[in-house]
Amino acid sequence: MELNGGSVVAMIGKDCVAIASDLRLGNQAVGIASNFDKVFPVNDKLYYGLPGLATDVYTLREHLRFRVNMYRMKEEREITPKTFTHLVSSTLYEKRFGPFFIEPVVAGLPTPTELDPHPKPFISTMDTIGCITTPKDFAVAGTAADKLYGVAEGLWEPDLEPEDLFETVSQTLLNAVDRDALSGWGAVVHIITQDKVITRTLRARMD
Amino acid sequence: MNSVLTQLQPHQSRLEEYDELEHTDAAAWGSMAGFGNLSRTGGVQGMSVPRVSDPTAFLDLHTDNMSSNPEAKIKIAHGTTTLAFKFQGGVIVAVDSRATAGSYVASGTVKKVIEINKFLLGTMAGGAADCQYWETYLGMQCRLYELRNKERISVAAASKILSNIVYQYKGMGLSMGTMVCGWDKTGPQIFYVDDDGQRLKGNLFSVGSGSTFAYGVLDQGYRWDLTDEEAQELGRRSIIAAGHRDAYSGNTCNLYHVKQEGWDFIGNYDVNELWYEYENKKKADREIATASAAAAASPMAVEQ
Amino acid sequence: MECSFGLTGKDYVLLCSDMSAGRSIIRMKSDENKIKTLGPHLAMAYGGEPGDTNNFAEYVERNMRLYHIRNHYPLLPESASAWIRRTLAESIRSRKPYSVNLLLAGYDTTTTKPHLYWIDYLGTKAVVPYAAHGMGVYVSLSTMDKWWFNDMNKREGVDVLKKCIDEVKKRITVHFNFNCILIDKDGIHHIDIESEDPITELESQQPKETLVDAPNPPLDIGNVGVTA
Repeated sequence: MELNGGSVVAMIGKDCVAIASDLRLGNQAVGIASNFDKVFPVNDKLYYGLPGLATDVYTLREHLRFRVNMYRMKEEREITPKTFTHLVSSTLYEKRFGPFFIEPVVAGLPTPTELDPHPKPFISTMDTIGCITTPKDFAVAGTAADKLYGVAEGLWEPDLEPEDLFETVSQTLLNAVDRDALSGWGAVVHIITQDKVITRTLRARMD
Repeated sequence: MNSVLTQLQPHQSRLEEYDELEHTDAAAWGSMAGFGNLSRTGGVQGMSVPRVSDPTAFLDLHTDNMSSNPEAKIKIAHGTTTLAFKFQGGVIVAVDSRATAGSYVASGTVKKVIEINKFLLGTMAGGAADCQYWETYLGMQCRLYELRNKERISVAAASKILSNIVYQYKGMGLSMGTMVCGWDKTGPQIFYVDDDGQRLKGNLFSVGSGSTFAYGVLDQGYRWDLTDEEAQELGRRSIIAAGHRDAYSGNTCNLYHVKQEGWDFIGNYDVNELWYEYENKKKADREIATASAAAAASPMAVEQ
Repeated sequence: MECSFGLTGKDYVLLCSDMSAGRSIIRMKSDENKIKTLGPHLAMAYGGEPGDTNNFAEYVERNMRLYHIRNHYPLLPESASAWIRRTLAESIRSRKPYSVNLLLAGYDTTTTKPHLYWIDYLGTKAVVPYAAHGMGVYVSLSTMDKWWFNDMNKREGVDVLKKCIDEVKKRITVHFNFNCILIDKDGIHHIDIESEDPITELESQQPKETLVDAPNPPLDIGNVGVTA
């Protein structure tokens, strides 16, 4: 975790979710790249973030892409956020005795179904070996996790509209990573709503 | 003998031989006027030391100071970029302002230049408390020197007082890398003093975790005949470069210029804002260059 | 104790590595080539645990060759970087991991874009415009931060590289000799970075003379298959 640095935060809003990450890839104290994405799409309603050891970010991402594609082909439908969370979790637990050094965060909007016509926005987070927590407000992970908790605890409120949620998640991320030496160097935010995903890169501190 | 230090448990340095003069009555030397705890070598006695068999190991176990135990519970503030260089117009001193404890940015507004007196500056890298305490103490000693000798202390002498002090505590976990900068009878001077007791005179130094990055810009832009503005800009640019690459440096840059009349505080600059400014300037310069290259190319084409 | 740099320009990529090799404090060689050419437009500068380095470099080289033979065209830089990264990522969780850090440089003939990848022994990959490994990280990254800019021509690129090497010679207590290559649309060229103006030298010679022997020359296969 402390080798490459990096942090991810996700938040629930009113019929929307937000997931954001910094862009730093470091080698301990030295910054190597400021274009290292840690948040990836599964589909246009579901994103996940992988803060932690950078080599495992790639490996786990390749792994998950393979498994989601297999799921898609077998089931002939898109994976739901909840199912995807369990898929990530079991992928992590497979490596129980030599874990991926990653704490994933999942954020998505479940598609309405007959059984559940008004599904709630969904976020979840896991530890390195796949223990799931599904918060009702926000999820944080990475080297700035403790700072993110502090800021998010103060800024988050229920039922934020997409634009307000964007402001909240952006301020949370920017102010938290400014207090973390190993995160920062740019930031990217995704707001997922039922009809579109808004992706913005933020002007973050570069020191 | 009214110093607080003398009330603390006296400590005999391992390296110092038993000095008979130290143990004669203080009155024999007349007034002790604030330097009663100074040994003849400029060192200090009377720092309190943990009552354990091996104080060094004790410190090592509980703090991350001596790097052998970076996971220790007590994180001492460190991580820095500082630089100073001499040039035709005096000395430039530039430092960042970030203090970190582990990966936590404990402060972004630390003053890492200690104004010892009107003609002397000390920079701070390593343990914040060590630098602050001993350089303040150095300021005291420099003032006393002035009063006794009716002339200002030279930078060489001032830095030697400091290096003698830290040398007495060698191996006990002091952590400091400092540059004593100033202007004396001999002109502008920089001395590097560190916790090993090493003391170096030179034209250009950079100290701290980000020092290598600062060198990378400083060395490639340094000339003796820099103008004042160029020199200030070079100092500033080097700190921004280090603040950018080094996780443990950044936030703001404090810039000083030492001249014959004493030092000037030039300003405090936000590292991030300057970084964006430099990036935009780089882009703008590039556009101008390509535009003028295109303009220059067309008459050539006509000639052919 | 090693040091390598890479930087991309408008239509080329430069790769530079020190040439020292030895055991503990002894330098046994100061002219060891630590840049491996992997294809007509692909090369890597590698360093790390002695023994692992050469073994891994040759393993990569042979696999690139195999791909070339099987498919009649070489692996593109992007895909090569993914393959190398994955090989290292799998290795790090094996019983005997490779301890090799590398800079992968390539010129994509299909898009005419230069590529540079910073890869470490864990399988960490960064896509970067300029990068360094070893001692160069500490003293020369900031030099490149200041003087590198987008779409540099060859002369400008070499000037930045010279600054970096100068800085290493100035600040690192160990003495290094460097060798350097340039990859552009014509292939991989050797560059004498110590000379006053390497680019003029390069341009004054016939393209063939400066070319570094690539281990994967285009195959003479007549009309079979696709060529890039």
